[in-house]
Amino acid sequence: MSEFDAIVVGAGPAGASAASRMASSGLNVLLVERGDPPGSKNVSGGILWGQELSKLYPDWEKSAPLERFISNKVTGFLTDDSYIGIDFRTKKFEKEKTGYSVLRTKLDGWLAKKAKDAGSMVITGITVDGLAWNSKRVVGIKQGNDIVTSDLVVLAEGANPRIAIGEGLRPPIGDHDVAIGIKQVVKLSEPVINERFNLRNGAGMAAEFSLGFLKNGVKAGGFLYTNKDTISAGVVIDIAGLRKDNSTYSFNIMDQFVSHPYIAPYLEGGQLQEYSAHLVCEGGIDYVPKLYGNGYVITGDSAGLSFSNGMVIQGMNYAIASGIAAADTAVRCKNSGSYDLNQIAYYDHLMKDSQAIKDMKNFRGISKVTWSPMVHEFIPKFAENVLNGMFRETGEPKKHLMEIALGSLKETGYDRKKLIIEGFRLMRKM
Amino acid sequence: MNIEEKLSVLNYKTDPTYAHITVKPDLCEVCPDHFCTFACPASCYKLIDGKLNFKYEDCVECGTCFVACSHGSVNWTNPKGGQGIKYKLG
Repeated sequence: MSEFDAIVVGAGPAGASAASRMASSGLNVLLVERGDPPGSKNVSGGILWGQELSKLYPDWEKSAPLERFISNKVTGFLTDDSYIGIDFRTKKFEKEKTGYSVLRTKLDGWLAKKAKDAGSMVITGITVDGLAWNSKRVVGIKQGNDIVTSDLVVLAEGANPRIAIGEGLRPPIGDHDVAIGIKQVVKLSEPVINERFNLRNGAGMAAEFSLGFLKNGVKAGGFLYTNKDTISAGVVIDIAGLRKDNSTYSFNIMDQFVSHPYIAPYLEGGQLQEYSAHLVCEGGIDYVPKLYGNGYVITGDSAGLSFSNGMVIQGMNYAIASGIAAADTAVRCKNSGSYDLNQIAYYDHLMKDSQAIKDMKNFRGISKVTWSPMVHEFIPKFAENVLNGMFRETGEPKKHLMEIALGSLKETGYDRKKLIIEGFRLMRKM
Repeated sequence: MNIEEKLSVLNYKTDPTYAHITVKPDLCEVCPDHFCTFACPASCYKLIDGKLNFKYEDCVECGTCFVACSHGSVNWTNPKGGQGIKYKLG
């Protein structure tokens, strides 16, 4: 007889959602979090996309600690001299909220409290060392010499899943599986943010850039997200490029981004409140391990569930969805009276049908494009040249767009044949 | 602001009795790249007079060094009992 129906390791969006849903269905649940309080170890860029939380808490948009709803999406390129961006605003984002900026220590604290209110036992400040096994079946968790048993263990450890790796439930992490995320939260006042970004009534901006000013094959993206009275500014750095160069400091890329001539004014006068770093899952569907086994399921970032095509970046919504799927699996097992492997396999069945896995399958190999020289070197340079040709008044006779484009292409020094091949790949994958 | 100044705004509950990350000095001594010194966002790995110096106290627990070190020198565990980095915003 196990002490708990389920033990959840990690109180992030995946784990806290799983615990809450299981407990509210009457399961006996233990949620263990190494941070004290919950959320104090957790970092994300900061946009929670989608409506997954409404499945758990119909009034979440009113009760959860959300910063701003996203009314304004910017995607663009930064070069040494220029800022090139598409700035998309639509009333549709205001009527039907598509995403919210969040700060994870607050959000995860709230999610953990909801899990507790639903009836889970929540313990914080406890680091789980590993899993307890009984003849090839996971039967609980280990902490020091103590073992706590459960019929199901839900692993929700985040992007650096020590237990899943340590217990051989997923392969170690490679250069192409994750990127280095670094973030600075800068304090400004709410009115100043509203003025600077042209935002009103709780609206916010989510901006992402490809950092075309980086040299020697070093590649990174940059982001700016508005919170209520702070701004989250950060970078996501490709490890393979950084390794090959082996002379650029990751933390200097963060500095270069916030001191870019067209980013710095947004943050001017702001006070640094927090500096943080976190791995960002980038490996796509090929980085997703087997999601379940005898006595356990793997959820959220621990399972590599995240999506990025350079313009759309999501993870927390997938984490919540996987937590819900894990919970529904546990409830089904409990009701059927069996936690056998073929019952736990229901999780895999639910996930195969989920938006997360469908998106990731559909965009298999996308990271080869998002981290390609095409996106990080050629397009920023080319776009900058074309726009200069179009908009700079030099007193010379005006040229047709085609002429400007061909001239700009030549200036970038890229091989045309290679460009056509890479261009097609980009269109197809994106 | 340099990295040391940025780290100084953070809260840590440092565990003086347990280094949650350890490196193998014999491997680091002959390491051809010391990529950890470039990858670590908290500058915990520094080359001082050609020797690798690692400081776990400044670690923000991201896991980068575990991926960055391709020589098997980094042993990465979570800090014990709520110790280590303590974010207020996240």
